[in-house]
Amino acid sequence: MSGFGLVVEGVRYAYADTEALRGVTVAIAAGESVALIGRNGAGKTTLTRLLVALLRPAAGRVAVGDWDVGGKRPDEMARRVGYVFQHADQQLFARSVREDVAFGPRRLGGDEGPVTAVLEELGLATYADIHPYDVPAPVRKLVALAGVLAMEPGVLILDEPTAGLGAAQCEVVAGALRRRNQRGVTLLVISHDLGFVAETADRVVVMEAGRIAGDQAARAFLYDVPALAALGLRPPVTARIGIALQLPGAPIRAVDVAAAMQGVQWKQMSE
Amino acid sequence: MTARVSLAGVSFSYAGAGRAALSGVSLEIAAGEIAFVSGASGAGASTLLLVATGLAPRLVGGTLTGQRTIGARRCGIVFARPWTQLTGLCSTVRDEVAFGPACAGRPIAEVMAATARAMEQLGVAHLADRDPAHLSGGELQRVVVAAALALEPELLALDDPAAELDPVGADALYAFLPSLAAAGTAILLATPDEERAARVATHLIVLERGAVVFAGNPAGAMDTRVGAIARAAGCPPPYPPDVPALLARIAPDAGGRAHDTSDAPPAGSGPGTGAAAR
Repeated sequence: MSGFGLVVEGVRYAYADTEALRGVTVAIAAGESVALIGRNGAGKTTLTRLLVALLRPAAGRVAVGDWDVGGKRPDEMARRVGYVFQHADQQLFARSVREDVAFGPRRLGGDEGPVTAVLEELGLATYADIHPYDVPAPVRKLVALAGVLAMEPGVLILDEPTAGLGAAQCEVVAGALRRRNQRGVTLLVISHDLGFVAETADRVVVMEAGRIAGDQAARAFLYDVPALAALGLRPPVTARIGIALQLPGAPIRAVDVAAAMQGVQWKQMSE
Repeated sequence: MTARVSLAGVSFSYAGAGRAALSGVSLEIAAGEIAFVSGASGAGASTLLLVATGLAPRLVGGTLTGQRTIGARRCGIVFARPWTQLTGLCSTVRDEVAFGPACAGRPIAEVMAATARAMEQLGVAHLADRDPAHLSGGELQRVVVAAALALEPELLALDDPAAELDPVGADALYAFLPSLAAAGTAILLATPDEERAARVATHLIVLERGAVVFAGNPAGAMDTRVGAIARAAGCPPPYPPDVPALLARIAPDAGGRAHDTSDAPPAGSGPGTGAAAR
């Protein structure tokens, strides 16, 4: 699956009297992996909803590949862009986990496609015959993601995909996203979880008060302590270890940090 | 210390469920303690919060066996999804926060004082006249925590209380918990955010399939991301729970700066500027 580029040009959007986007311009190339971060209310979710035609801009242009989103309906956009809401319960409705995950591929006119493989990839096989509302909330979140992955879209947009997930589940999600990005799928992920950003993103776009406030390589951003502090953030644990030990290459993924630390001498604990 | 809740051999099953959500749980939470309930999803952490605060089976149904003693005169709970906790009856944040103490029949002056204090503590005083239905997820989560605090609970159960908050808001909420505990509240905290929980927890309770598999001091006992990196990097057990503990485990002759500089910007800490740690 090849990805599609995303283009947002001079976009403005307002909810009643509250201006959520105040002239946003950003371009994401096909196959890029981008994290969108910023405080509550910065406009992140609004921006991503414009990319799937769930909202229409008051001004400006939005495009996905060669499609002008302004001329498309949300169901048409679903052929190119998979969107996972922050709250999974908003997009689950079938009688079993398997049925829910299979809904998308069937709706697109194909067979079930990779439903079984995706269920296994996300550790959901044991839940396949259970009603989505009878599984724990974090598992529901994975079910919503599975439903989108099963459609094999060229662009994945995820809104806080790890909120409420345990560490092992975050690893599963990160792995699933990395594999698709390696196959060319474009990723745009809203996340407060800089540890997850470190594992999945190559580039970080920062939003503040409805505007783009920063845009740089993830590796540089996550090591930039003063810039992060200005946003009320601090580096993820991987970068904090990298900074403290001056690890070469500024690794941000856990596996790279552990590899860079091979050869470190450890104190033996007496107890 | 005063036990705010104690469980002895407590098991709990939801109506119609195939297996028990909690089985044979024994624990005691005292005033001033912050107990971090950890476990994979479905392990029973949220159920433990419902049982400890008396909401299960009283409100959610099901069957409880074993001995449960709730010593706290008032219990508060904050659910993981804040919008499920709104009364639906209040058109302002102030009324929403005041709802609990007002229903408890306290004099109006006390209700308003507790409401103002709780809104101040959670940083939502500026939202007092807003409609709760029009708040963002992060704002709403703070309002719901304020509503629980306005009850002045002696036992407070928090189920992933910062899931909707940005990192600044989450840090502020967690930083507030020790002072709340110091004032005498017992806190039960369930969250996948082990790094923040590790900073404040005085006790760790690990659940697996509804059973307690560890209860005690969190130091050295938490299976954290830092611990996993340390393990992969060849560190012998016990695995350090956070970055300062990891750095403290590195032998002095290993080189590197070996202190956590993330709170104080170091000079020249940009990518690739340093020497190898080995």
